[in-house]
Amino acid sequence: MKDLRDTLVIARRELLERVKSKWFAVMTLIGPIGMIAMIVIPALIARSSTEGTQVDIVDRSGVLARPLAAKLETAKWKVRIVDDPATRDDAEEARIRRNEINGYISIDKDALEGGRIVYRGDNASSQAVSILLGQSIKDVVRDERGKQLKLTEEQRRHLATPINFDAQHTTGEKQASSGLGAFGLAYALGFILYMAITLYGINVMRSVVQEKTSRVMELMVAAVKPRSLMAGKILGVGAAGLIQIGVWLAIGAILLAYRDEVLGAFGIAGGGKALPPLAADEIAVILAYFIGGYFFYSAMYAALGAMVSSDQETQQVQLPVTMLLVIGVLCLTMISNDPRGSTAATMTMIPFWSPILMPMRYTLGGATLGDIALSLGILALSTALVIRAAAKIYRVGVLMYGKRPGLAELIRWLRY
Amino acid sequence: MTDAAALVVRNVSKQFGNHRAVEDMSFSIPRGCVYGILGPNGAGKSTTLRMINDIIAPDAGTIEILDGLAPGPEAARHIGYLPEERGLYPRMRVLEMIEFMGELRGLPRAEARRRAGAWLDRLGLAAWAKNRVADLSKGMQQKVQFATALIHEPALVILDEPWSGLDPINAEVLREVVDEIRAAGRTVLFSTHLMEQAEKVCDAVCIIARGRKVLDGRLLELKRSWAADGRIALGFADDAARARADAVLADAALVADRLPPRAGDVADCEVKLAPGATPQRLLAALVGAEVALRRFELIVPTLHQIFVERVGDTAAVAERRPEAAS
Repeated sequence: MKDLRDTLVIARRELLERVKSKWFAVMTLIGPIGMIAMIVIPALIARSSTEGTQVDIVDRSGVLARPLAAKLETAKWKVRIVDDPATRDDAEEARIRRNEINGYISIDKDALEGGRIVYRGDNASSQAVSILLGQSIKDVVRDERGKQLKLTEEQRRHLATPINFDAQHTTGEKQASSGLGAFGLAYALGFILYMAITLYGINVMRSVVQEKTSRVMELMVAAVKPRSLMAGKILGVGAAGLIQIGVWLAIGAILLAYRDEVLGAFGIAGGGKALPPLAADEIAVILAYFIGGYFFYSAMYAALGAMVSSDQETQQVQLPVTMLLVIGVLCLTMISNDPRGSTAATMTMIPFWSPILMPMRYTLGGATLGDIALSLGILALSTALVIRAAAKIYRVGVLMYGKRPGLAELIRWLRY
Repeated sequence: MTDAAALVVRNVSKQFGNHRAVEDMSFSIPRGCVYGILGPNGAGKSTTLRMINDIIAPDAGTIEILDGLAPGPEAARHIGYLPEERGLYPRMRVLEMIEFMGELRGLPRAEARRRAGAWLDRLGLAAWAKNRVADLSKGMQQKVQFATALIHEPALVILDEPWSGLDPINAEVLREVVDEIRAAGRTVLFSTHLMEQAEKVCDAVCIIARGRKVLDGRLLELKRSWAADGRIALGFADDAARARADAVLADAALVADRLPPRAGDVADCEVKLAPGATPQRLLAALVGAEVALRRFELIVPTLHQIFVERVGDTAAVAERRPEAAS
């Protein structure tokens, strides 16, 4: 009882110290501003970048220039058709250098028979430019080929009808969802968890190191068990992080729901994909692993903090833990390729990676609720063990100022 | 003062690597007593206090706190501790810092807050209650640290080097607080290497050096027994008196040893009585020899004198090891 009370008293202190700080308020507000920027800026870029692009068309085939120019002009490009087929590339490139045009399209004589069509320009690396050009040229060439085959207007329009293909994920048990959407969501979740852990786990570590640098630890260790101290810190600092993430997610969800309105406020027409809908059980699993993983890694960071005695040293020791996280994020693709395979089954039981991988495996239908229970149980147990180890390292390290323990020494400490 | 001991340390040893920090340490502190552990740096004072506070575990021996509690969470509620490593949470408000420590020592939050406020009033820091700990001067932080150790009115107060960093005015405040705790029948255990300070507040002491107990006991008794050793400071009226005295002092039946006067003392010489001789017989002999005396004084030693006598000057510069900082 006393231990639990101590843990809560310590957690309350850590939480209040953080929530009351100016930085917390600033960061909590900056997050949503960043999110608005993430929605608006790409849309702004997508909308504005290709308008007013100036291109020359050097057409040696004699048939493609005019329809292509008409198509590009509907996208508000400024197009000049160079009628002289003898125009040399260096003349056009000189125009680019003089900033008279953005680029030029060079069409070979046998373009309709598979000859080359090349765009060269200062904006060729822009995705919007190459997608628009590629699509326009494909349409125009297809249409001209149809004319050569003496197809009627109607036949040619029929040929141009878009093909509607979609890959949908299913394991036969659950309703199919968009494969790409599910992967995107799981990937985003894994990434958010990774960000949250690296952002706030480091806070836990700092908080443990601070006990040493402010020399308050002897006072604390005399008053409470190191385990209560560690658990309280992880809980308190963790809760501060969760509150912040909660605020962000809530604002993020509202922004996504009103994405079109937000874009409208900036004068951009909306449209675009919404997130795939999630079932209640999926949301529960995602939340459980987010919180479980968050506290597991916070405990790992607390153990790291217990090993070092200054803020500078924390830089070096956190690399291994960050690596573990990165491995998890890298394995996301593997799980999505084969959510029911044995690799997925193994990886999602290991506490280092289950928080990142299991939500994806579950949303892709690769795991039963039994798997979830087992994996969450392992995660919770590991968290308790890591807290225990952190407390032991901390306790023995109390009197060791200055030097970092070697591996052999650490193992000796754990057996104390 | 009751008969039950506030603290019993029995045959306690602690070793760090090859360094014996504390060896076979035993002492007992009666309730209501102000007890000083005295010794040079590195003698094992802090190590002993840390073992009582369950910060480190002894390799051997037992420690009984109050009613037979072993060091640990249960005992911690009855102990107030001022560690040698002073430290507070720098970003916390002063009042909240004291309240927080009170809560951890078992007080309900409201009560902890009330007492924290009372302590700040008492220490003259009421105006600083809402400031951050980091805004305070070192001396003020020291006072806050005292409040964190005392807020739960512990039955056993342990102060590790309480005078270090205290100015004379705050040292006076500390002495008042210690007197109050004693008056309330509670027990104070502190460590120091400052004999003058210890002499002013201690009821009993334990002198240690190189991890071992050298002697312990009530201060008055220690002084009395040391005085019974028969040391007498003599002052002569003139050189003629001194010459006449020489003959008397040469009598081995009266005087065992002649010592030069202590530095800073105005005595002409100091003698140690021979076994069986009394100060009265020496005085009678001197008067009989018509020695004109300016001074004849039974020396009551200072704690410092006892300490130097028993520990020796060399121990005062004992080696200091970082992990066994004492």
